[in-house]
Amino acid sequence: MHHAGNGKRVKHMRARLAGVARRPAITPEKTLPAGNLEEPMARAPAVEKTLNAGEQRQVSFAQVLVFELRVRNAMTSPPITATPTDTLRSIQHLMKAHRISGVPILADGVLVGIVSIEDIITALDGGYINDPVEKWMSRKIVTLRDHFSLVRAVAEFDRHGYGRFPVLDANNQLVGIITPGDITVCLMHHLERRAEEAIAKEAALAAVRAADEKAQRIVINAEVKSGDFESAGKISQRMREVLRARGIAPDVRRRAAIIAYEAETNIIIHSLGGRITVTIDAHKVRIKAVDSGPGIENVDLAMQEGWSTAGPLARELGFGAGMGLPNIKRCADKFSIRSELGSGTQLQATVFLQKAGDIL
Amino acid sequence: MKLKSATKLPSILSAVEASPLTDLTEVELTGCYISDLLSDVLANAQPGVLWVTIHTHRNILSVASMKDIAAILFTCGRKPEAAIIAEAVEKGISLLSTPLSTYETAGKLWKAGLR
Repeated sequence: MHHAGNGKRVKHMRARLAGVARRPAITPEKTLPAGNLEEPMARAPAVEKTLNAGEQRQVSFAQVLVFELRVRNAMTSPPITATPTDTLRSIQHLMKAHRISGVPILADGVLVGIVSIEDIITALDGGYINDPVEKWMSRKIVTLRDHFSLVRAVAEFDRHGYGRFPVLDANNQLVGIITPGDITVCLMHHLERRAEEAIAKEAALAAVRAADEKAQRIVINAEVKSGDFESAGKISQRMREVLRARGIAPDVRRRAAIIAYEAETNIIIHSLGGRITVTIDAHKVRIKAVDSGPGIENVDLAMQEGWSTAGPLARELGFGAGMGLPNIKRCADKFSIRSELGSGTQLQATVFLQKAGDIL
Repeated sequence: MKLKSATKLPSILSAVEASPLTDLTEVELTGCYISDLLSDVLANAQPGVLWVTIHTHRNILSVASMKDIAAILFTCGRKPEAAIIAEAVEKGISLLSTPLSTYETAGKLWKAGLR
């Protein structure tokens, strides 16, 4: 082994700093016999793991990225290189200028060696910093292929303990250099990008939901004629059909229907005519009943069960139980009534919607 | 009136000497409610009951469908107009008529086990 070092060299330190083999000389192909195969490790077992907690899912996502991303995604490319005839001094300047700690050496485009910052320190110490590179460079080089997964790269860093690997493409051309720091930066970058994508997706979904809710708004607005008993229940029925189609829970539908029906019949029985407006959105149904008079003389009395001013025809038809307003109030989540003798009555009731199966 | 044992519509027909005005649904009755005041039915009837009334006006169909009432039994031999019977069929509400009074009907339904 033609090391650029001496006895003082701390092996571990050196190993961490340079992509130089600590083993007997072997060719890059032999070093990485699986180089042309898709390494089985890369077949993302992490994806199949059953994960529950949010934290675990986060880890899993990083793991998935490590399997998905390739060395070529993380490496620095093109690498800063030198030639065998350059001096170690010029390498020292290169390292300083580019803030790097290892320089691959190319002869006619072929990777022939590597010099690490440790080699430079040792050269300064040994007084041969002005020697040509070829005299001291490490010639036993472990390389990675640009198509390797990052998980494979991490495994190689663990296995060899080096601080960097030169990266070759399928034609054995040096295309980059990779350090553990490059992998971290690459992962962080991708995680950030995915997070941004997720946030953008979330925002887009929220916008769609908002548009949906707007589109979900249905207004049923109908005139109600005084004495028109034949039409009683029509508005209520239309409202119920919408609510049923939306999967609203039966008891919620029923409450809304009773309010609309009682409000409708109130206008038919007691008023000179009026209008019902039912507004349904994603969260609630609002029933507004406005009539043009004559108004309720005593609203408190009208709210009492059993009190009715219904005429004989209405009573004959089963109305006039004096339960209309109390029924509405009981069924509503929000209820208000305003009435003035001579001008009319405005009633508003709201029911909050729950889908069938929603937890109450 | 609370249900103790579920009863099917055809089985109570003979008990109250009723004749069906529509095809009778096979649903199980959850009980019975007797009232001639629509708001009272709206307020107090449970879904799935047999509603006994003397009213034959189409408002009963609105009330029945609103409360998911499965069947209406008219007493004192009353029968609604054909148009209302047709509407009931459309809404899936069974209609029956009995010559008995509401009081007699109630007693016989109770005795027949509809509770």
